Amino acid sequence: MPDKSTDLVQGTLDMLILKTLALEPMHGYGVAVRIEQISKGVFRVNAGSLFVAFQRLKRAGWIRSEWKATENNRRAKYYVLTEQGRKKLSSETQEWERQVAAIARILEAS
Amino acid sequence: MSLLRNIAGGIRSLFRKEQAELELDEELRGFLEAATEEKMQRGMSREEAGRAVRLERGGLDATKEMVRDARWESFVDTLWRDLRFGVRTLRKSPGFTAVAVLTLALGIGANTAIFSYIDAWLIKPLPYPQADRLMVLQSHDKKSGWTGEYLTSTASFLDFQKQNASFEQTALWAGWAFNLTGDGLPALVDGARVSWNYFDVLDTKPLLGRTFSAEEDRSGSGHVAILAEGLWRSRYASDRKIIGRTITIEGEPYTVIGVMPGTFQFPLRGFANIWTPLALTDKERTDRGGSFLSAFGRLKPGITREQAEAESTTIFSRLEKQFPQTNTNLTLLVGSMAEAIARNEGAPEVLICFAIVGLILLIACANVANLMLVRAASRAKEFGVRGALGATRVRLVRQLLTESLLLFLAGGTAGVLLGFFGMHWLESKMPEHIRGYIVNYGHVDLDLTTLGFVLGIVVLCGVAFGMAPAFETSRLELNRTLKERSGQTLGGHRGTVLRSTFVATEITLAVVVLISATLLVKSFFISVHTSPGYSPANLMVAQLALPETKYAQESQKRNFSEDVLQRLRALPQAQAVGAASSVPFGGFGASVDIEAVGKPAPRPGESRNTTYAAVSNEYFSTMQIGLVEGRTFDSSDAQGNAPSAIINETLAREFWPNEDPIGRQLRYGDQHNVCTIVGVVRDIKMYYLRERSRRQMYVPLAQFPSATFGFVVRTTGSATAMATAIRDEIWDVDRGQAISSVEELENVMAIVNYGDQMVTQLMIFFGALAMFLSAIGIYGVMSSLVSQRTHEIGIRTALGASPWQVMRMVMRQGLNLALIGLSVGVLCALGAGRALASQLYQVAPNDPLTFLAVPVLFAVVTLAACYLPARRAARVDPLVALRYE
Repeated sequence: MPDKSTDLVQGTLDMLILKTLALEPMHGYGVAVRIEQISKGVFRVNAGSLFVAFQRLKRAGWIRSEWKATENNRRAKYYVLTEQGRKKLSSETQEWERQVAAIARILEAS
Repeated sequence: MSLLRNIAGGIRSLFRKEQAELELDEELRGFLEAATEEKMQRGMSREEAGRAVRLERGGLDATKEMVRDARWESFVDTLWRDLRFGVRTLRKSPGFTAVAVLTLALGIGANTAIFSYIDAWLIKPLPYPQADRLMVLQSHDKKSGWTGEYLTSTASFLDFQKQNASFEQTALWAGWAFNLTGDGLPALVDGARVSWNYFDVLDTKPLLGRTFSAEEDRSGSGHVAILAEGLWRSRYASDRKIIGRTITIEGEPYTVIGVMPGTFQFPLRGFANIWTPLALTDKERTDRGGSFLSAFGRLKPGITREQAEAESTTIFSRLEKQFPQTNTNLTLLVGSMAEAIARNEGAPEVLICFAIVGLILLIACANVANLMLVRAASRAKEFGVRGALGATRVRLVRQLLTESLLLFLAGGTAGVLLGFFGMHWLESKMPEHIRGYIVNYGHVDLDLTTLGFVLGIVVLCGVAFGMAPAFETSRLELNRTLKERSGQTLGGHRGTVLRSTFVATEITLAVVVLISATLLVKSFFISVHTSPGYSPANLMVAQLALPETKYAQESQKRNFSEDVLQRLRALPQAQAVGAASSVPFGGFGASVDIEAVGKPAPRPGESRNTTYAAVSNEYFSTMQIGLVEGRTFDSSDAQGNAPSAIINETLAREFWPNEDPIGRQLRYGDQHNVCTIVGVVRDIKMYYLRERSRRQMYVPLAQFPSATFGFVVRTTGSATAMATAIRDEIWDVDRGQAISSVEELENVMAIVNYGDQMVTQLMIFFGALAMFLSAIGIYGVMSSLVSQRTHEIGIRTALGASPWQVMRMVMRQGLNLALIGLSVGVLCALGAGRALASQLYQVAPNDPLTFLAVPVLFAVVTLAACYLPARRAARVDPLVALRYE
């Protein structure tokens, strides 16, 4: 499976990360694995894109980070969705659904 | 909000750079470790897993690079590193840096100084509120195309004033010189007579008191005056109780009602110290045939110049039908006041200087670009190594551009300093008399516009001229650059072509500058050295105007002039003494319409206007104006005898082309006086050194007494002592008579000619600068070419080439470059000359001597600049050169 993340629509990766973090705080690898699992392997995220996205979301104030111990007792940086991030996610989701519905209608019409 | 946080986050990580790096490193290692462990759990070996993860997720360093590049602060960080590196490399080659910075400082300094004038004179608004609505009204003759700043008909203008709907208000004014007596010595003070609303239209408030009221502008009233702050401070000791006080102007009492601040200026008039109301008489108000007034107005908001002019055209074509005798072909143009002032100040000259310094800046930039190319070539190895270690080309170009910008910024800073001194030096050299005519005088400064302009050219030129060397150097031909030996790495063939192009272009530009400058300088010297028709050295001039109130009778005027002349003649230092109603470069010019008796009357609209002066018998001999035929005035031209006249050669040629004018008769002036011509004298210059010859006539002062006088005294002694003596003699005749400053005519002419002189000095400087810079350019390129060819020259010498042959080879290469530059330059200069044509005086735009001399001079300079490198080439020792192998 080739790396699909570069093919993601601009901003889609951001939304997927926010969605993933909405369930619980997670470290970087956890986010990557979770996106791959849920998408059943359609999306495979490379480290560069992922961490650039983390940096962008953090600067936008939608997520924050803290160092915590992992399940196997290592130190890892956990990302947490902020209140603003939660709002952003819900508005992004709505917008996404609206667009998908619109595109679906167009495709059905032809 | 998020932008702010982004900036804050960026700045935080800039300051905690190491901390951020460590965190990123730890986090990424953790990420990759987790991925590897997962693969190992599926049964891969650690090595295999690590490899797979690197392939799938990307390696540690590549990822870090990606994350770093995504931050804006990394740009700042790289820039900072480039800057520090740039400063270090520049400091390591102080010779190169000094030459480059100095070259740029000269180029940018000249531009800063000249641009500050463009800014103050042409860009900054006039010093009045909403000055863009101020318009001057100019008379225009539709048939002849003549346009004048004076009105030609007062009555027609007053009709326009009443009928137009475009202007909020229009105002009238006339420059005037006032005899001021009492409170100290009598003084002749420059000022203006103005309509009551003059200051209101300009929207300027007085410092003290008030401005004129409409009632004070009525005929018969108007004995009120407004003073300028300067005069109030100097003559009235800043007396705050001046308002309401009575002062004596032209022997009559005037009440001071206001004082205008020193910052008030009206460049169309020049310095003014007193204003009185026009208070036009009924006769003046209804005069359709003439006017002594100028006019300007303030447009209503939203009305354009074109709309106002369309309206004036309509009104004046109506007047044309109504008054065909006086108004035929006459109309009124509406023009921007700012443009009219700019024309007066010499906007064309400033723009020429600006174009010239622009070319000089290009020469300087090309020089620096060449220096950078030479230097970059010697750094090829450094860049080769950096390229081999993984630096991208973009990264190298950025580094080189940063260095170029650094150089230009340093040059710009030094240039601004040079320019700052330059602009103030230029302003301080301006004679007092000229300053009043200059808008924003004293406001030529390094303001934001000028600084912005300088920063603009610095960045633009820094990038544009840094580009070529940057790309040339960063071309990563690793194999070649790394293989070449250190002594031989001075760029490939392409570098040579590029540098040669730069030098040829430089020469082209320098030729254009030098030819333009030479044409202008030559015009100036011709205008200065052409005889004005008299000899202005050692000739003192004192001017005065007798007040009509005190000297109403002709006999009084006659007695006054005869008394003064007699006293002046008795002065021991006076060689010769004369008087005229108006003298060259004086303030009392007069002209009349003339007609030759017995010749057909002039066609309608044909001007027979002639400069006119009443002169004393010894005037011509004192001025040393040459007599062509006939005689000058003598005792036979006394009062009561038949009126006589003397004309100049131009008038004689135009009126009696193939006849002897002596004994013919002229009818002239409003009174249609008839006089007989007794002599013909040479043409003289009356107002400008560059004026074309025009008709001039003289009548005897004894027969036609005048109220205005220029007394001329040819002296052998010191000018200052003579000036005092002349003034004292006049005051002995009339204690209360105001006199202009008594000066040598030569000085007066120099002041009038100041603008041309300044431009000439600048041109000499700019021409020399252009030549100097291009000579450096040629020298630099030839030296580097010789170094590059050392090996080849060594072989040639080893094979038997004589030093002379080697020298000739190098010189020929330099001359070829120069020839290309020269030929293109001469072609461009032909175009430049045509653009300059209106500024030239008795010099053709393609003056053969200039177009021959400048290229020859350049060829000589090129040879000189090539000589040193050529000599070095000739001395190449083949053994040494070949040992470089």
